[in-house]
Amino acid sequence: MSLAALRRLILIGLMLAIGAALAIADHVFFTMGNLMTILQQGSLTGILAIGFTLVMITAGIDMSIGAVVAVTSMVAVNFLSYTKIPVLLFLPLSLLVGVVVGSLNGFFITRFKLPEFIVTLAMRGILSGLALMIAVRDSTGFIQNVYIQDPTYLWFGGQVGPVYIVTIAFLVLAFFTQLFMKRTRAGTNIYATGANPAAARLSGINTTRTIVGVYIFSGVCASLAAVFISSQMMTAMPDLGIGTEMDVIAAVVIGGTPFTGGVGDVWGTVIGAIFLALLKNGITVLGISPWIQPIVVGGIIVLTVIADVWYKDLAEASAARTARRARDAAADGAAA
Amino acid sequence: MAKSKILALSLCALAAFSLSAQSKTFKIGYLPTSIGQPNTNAWQAGMMRVFSKEPNVKLVALDPQLSAQTQVGMMDDLISQSCDAIVLQPVDAAALSGSVRRAESQGIYVVTLNTATLQPHTASVQMADIAAGYLVGQEMGRQIHGRGNVAIIESPPGATLGVNREKGFREAIAKLYPGITVVGAQVAEGWKKENAITIMNSFLQANQELDGVFAVNDNMAEGAMIAAESAGRLAQIKIWGANGQKSTLDLIEQGKIAGTAYNNCFAQGEQAAKIVMNSLAKGRLASIPTKTDVIQIPPFAAMKGTVSQISQQDRW
Repeated sequence: MSLAALRRLILIGLMLAIGAALAIADHVFFTMGNLMTILQQGSLTGILAIGFTLVMITAGIDMSIGAVVAVTSMVAVNFLSYTKIPVLLFLPLSLLVGVVVGSLNGFFITRFKLPEFIVTLAMRGILSGLALMIAVRDSTGFIQNVYIQDPTYLWFGGQVGPVYIVTIAFLVLAFFTQLFMKRTRAGTNIYATGANPAAARLSGINTTRTIVGVYIFSGVCASLAAVFISSQMMTAMPDLGIGTEMDVIAAVVIGGTPFTGGVGDVWGTVIGAIFLALLKNGITVLGISPWIQPIVVGGIIVLTVIADVWYKDLAEASAARTARRARDAAADGAAA
Repeated sequence: MAKSKILALSLCALAAFSLSAQSKTFKIGYLPTSIGQPNTNAWQAGMMRVFSKEPNVKLVALDPQLSAQTQVGMMDDLISQSCDAIVLQPVDAAALSGSVRRAESQGIYVVTLNTATLQPHTASVQMADIAAGYLVGQEMGRQIHGRGNVAIIESPPGATLGVNREKGFREAIAKLYPGITVVGAQVAEGWKKENAITIMNSFLQANQELDGVFAVNDNMAEGAMIAAESAGRLAQIKIWGANGQKSTLDLIEQGKIAGTAYNNCFAQGEQAAKIVMNSLAKGRLASIPTKTDVIQIPPFAAMKGTVSQISQQDRW
């Protein structure tokens, strides 16, 4: 069994164990409504995390995703407040925010060889200001957080039966992104660029186009998440989404994609996002003191990563032992 | 024989029902904008004065860390876990409206603190906002003799409580003191003291004549005071806050802060808890309220001459 598969099994096992403990602690945990809420919250983080996973596989980082959420939702509420353009017409325009921001991030990173963290952090600052500039204001000039009541827009925050639409969108997006990563040449190029950009270039991969592409994809995922988040909240604020980067990073890292690039996959991130949502939900089930909550969440994330590193070392040592035994056996054979 | 069996069974069922009603634990969610602030701690302490007398009440406090998005997620958790009531201080009036509606549709009572959501709910126990700002404008204007330059340290954009306090302050200045000019207004992210220090420094740099500063909460007023004191200009500037936390009242007594619009947060928390208990006594929420019952606590101008009127047990 591969390291990734075993790791995933361990994570799922851990989730089931935590879930069982929570269900014993309070029966409300195991109700359909609560489980769907966990999936909904995991999905909101997860959509952002899918784009982020691809960026991390190229050994990059995108700190602008939260601010893309803010600007996209501001664009959407401007359309809702000041125009009569139907939602389905202006939504693609809102998603363009992600395309533009992703293109700019990718351009600055590849054209000027700037560090990804600095470029996207600067972009985060610029977009935060832009969100404030374009925010809807009341008659006295104060920023007004619009209460969205358009039924078409609110549909995105709704449910099909017990399942939230955002959960369906998340799983569909995850499925196709995983397919893209594992079954297409472009997906392989992303892994190769992250593992060794120089070698990837030498083998004919257009790493510039690959990097720009993943940042555009990350931006689009953030814009898509903005629609679901603002629809769920029935409003949008200029700081919507800003600060969610930490949860997104946690979901991706728990899912097994390291900062070093070259490895990782989308299903891992799906599990990571749901795991994080489960933890947060469990905290409210148990009524853990708010002082302890961040310690519990932070502690479990650290433990997950430590276990990951420990297992990786163990697997490498085991592989080295096997290789040594094979070498020795071959040497003995030759001597005989 | 059959009749007596039915009677006995009915009595058993009734006894079991009444026992289960008595032993039902009420789960109440407490969801302020941020845990660990003096006012949110005082609300919780005030609520516990009521809830600690009720053996069947469990209070679950959550910390959304000033994020409306996180607060909405936590509301959804509390709703899906069939809470009986939620005491909420919304980060944003519009952003939490959808969650409040979802809670009410599940029969959960919602009582808000300070900021009422746009969605009507059971009750809102509020510190005065516009009235508090107006009071600050009126008293600060009097202290600086109706003329001079003043500046405002604002709350984050869209935060209704802070915006309304600022509106009240500006209204008082415009109406009562035409000789006073508002020379600057800047947002302190997260209502934080450290951000207020930076903003106050910029006000001090930009204005050689600055007579008054209104920070829309006490933490930020304390930040403004630190900056003015470091610049050696504290004696010339009347700094006002709003809320009335203990540390600010102490600074008023020391003459470092000119005043604050005081609110008794212990009493506010107690009042919210009493509303919750009275509501729960009626069973689950039967229908979505069409109007919020707003209880607004009038502000008290705590200044050097009046602060002693606030007793030690009412300081939070």
